[in-house]
Amino acid sequence: MSVLALKADKRRPHGPSRVQQFLPLFPPSLILLLFFAIPMGMMVGLSFQQSDASGLTLASYERFFSDQFTLMGMARTVVMSGLVAICVTIMAYPVAYFLARSKSRWRALVFALAIAPELAGVVLRTYGWLIILENQGFINNALIWLGVIAEPLPLAKNMFGVVVGLTHVILPFGILSLLTSLQGVDPNLEKSAQILGASRASVIRHIVVPLTVPGIVSSMLLAFTMSASAYATPAILGGAGFKVLATMIYEQVLFYIDWSFAAVMANVLLVMMLIVALIGTRLEARLHQKLHT
Amino acid sequence: MKPIYIAASLLASAAFASPTMARDLIVNSYGGPYEQIIRDAIITPFEQEYGVRVIYDAVGSSSQDYAKIKATNGRPGFDVVVMTASQSLQGCEDGLLERFSPDTVPNLAHLNPEISAVAGPCGAVHELQYLSLLYRTDMVSESPQSWLDLFEDDLTGRVILPSFGNVMAAYLTQLMSVIHGGDLDSDIDPGFEAMTRLAAQSVGFEQASAILESYIVDGRVWAMPFWDGRAQLLVDSGAPVDYVLPEEGSVPLIATLNVPIGAQNKELALAFVDFFLEKTSQERWVEGYKVGSARADIEVSDQAQDRKITSQADLDALYLPDLLSLASNLSAWGERWEREVVPAAR
Repeated sequence: MSVLALKADKRRPHGPSRVQQFLPLFPPSLILLLFFAIPMGMMVGLSFQQSDASGLTLASYERFFSDQFTLMGMARTVVMSGLVAICVTIMAYPVAYFLARSKSRWRALVFALAIAPELAGVVLRTYGWLIILENQGFINNALIWLGVIAEPLPLAKNMFGVVVGLTHVILPFGILSLLTSLQGVDPNLEKSAQILGASRASVIRHIVVPLTVPGIVSSMLLAFTMSASAYATPAILGGAGFKVLATMIYEQVLFYIDWSFAAVMANVLLVMMLIVALIGTRLEARLHQKLHT
Repeated sequence: MKPIYIAASLLASAAFASPTMARDLIVNSYGGPYEQIIRDAIITPFEQEYGVRVIYDAVGSSSQDYAKIKATNGRPGFDVVVMTASQSLQGCEDGLLERFSPDTVPNLAHLNPEISAVAGPCGAVHELQYLSLLYRTDMVSESPQSWLDLFEDDLTGRVILPSFGNVMAAYLTQLMSVIHGGDLDSDIDPGFEAMTRLAAQSVGFEQASAILESYIVDGRVWAMPFWDGRAQLLVDSGAPVDYVLPEEGSVPLIATLNVPIGAQNKELALAFVDFFLEKTSQERWVEGYKVGSARADIEVSDQAQDRKITSQADLDALYLPDLLSLASNLSAWGERWEREVVPAAR
């Protein structure tokens, strides 16, 4: 029998060749090469050039890392993106859990509401938040009218306003990212734990959350990178004094026409996001390993 | 050949074929009310006179257009673009814009030479605005006459300022410097000190002119610096506002027509620039867009004469900044603005 089986195996037609396996990767790779890798390479090159100097120079990098103003912009970008990543993930998790587990007839409606913000443009939504949060906006006017406050609260043109606006913009991505992860967790595990006496909170804490760590990390990484590269929301809700790398790059390209310095900022932003992605994936791998040992 | 391949070939030809004809001229400028005015005053008469079609491209601000010219090494896909004198100088220096001469653009000879010199050889000055003081007529008891009126106590929390990303901010700082004993370039400290005090008096900063004007239209602020052309459009719209040229004087916003060095229809582009600078075109433009002209020989309505830059005397009353010096100072001033002026705002 075993001889026959081996013979049968040999007669089986060969699988796809190595070339055939990689063929579907060719079009996206080509697009990435042409429209991402080459422009990125050009941008890196630009960061070492100066219009008034021949050859390569580190002048723009020296300027960036010796200027307190640009370093503050970088720090502000990290803090803003970190806060948005935390807020998005915390707010998205219960919604994603409901969508993954519920059989309610409201599920479809909740799902539609969860992704509804994406139907309106980011600028439109951000101006909506400005109308709500500004000094003479809906919240401040309502609180003053109710006698709760005498002076408007600083809700816009600062970090708070930007974090609120970005959280709203990015929340659907966090929900979708966590939903995929939660759908991969077998609901029978939760039922078994509850049959054995575990409370609901204990099931969430000891079973669901640990098993969805990849989704949590992915949601945070997605929210962080989207926030760090966002321009419209920080520009509109942050006001003139709220400079992050994205708004500073815009100014350098279009107003100061200093493309070398803008390229330095863009490279710093890219490296910053790569470092965060690296930390995130390492953290996820460590937690995964800990869970399975 | 299979029908699907024929369809694909047709689609590909349609996608990659140039959508413009050889005699089409692509003019890039602004959208909004500007577009209709330029169509009526300039584009339609030009099309009729030359028997060509003008394709109007309203995408992008002048700084975005300049970035596009720079990124494409002078081949941005449009033949004529409306920018400012600063960008004309920069583009000329970078070799990205066509140089004009009275041979190629005869009407250049009729422009005020000092204003033309500010814009350099690659910019044809087709429009002048001055920085005016715009105010609410229903909120301010007496019409302001001086830039110093912005510092008055009754305007505390009722002034909005441009952010430094709007060139109006640098011009206002220069003006304040002159008013407070400094000058336009080398001794700018008094300007920054004044702007820091003014920022403390203001509700903050906005970059886009459309957003800035919304503050005064809805009554959140009662006074602000603003270009006189847009200020006049606000007055004409019926908003309870008016504007003045303050007694200390003002600085001009010099708008220019430019032709990218790699423009496809260069000959027609030069004809368009010359047509825009003709006496009758300039008269239509001054009356239509409510701006001034660098031609002192135009004949316009009394209202335009009273309020716009239309004569040699008007031109002489303006401070003309050295835009190359401004460009070299801009980055340092921008950083100083963010450190000193922005934190002082309420």
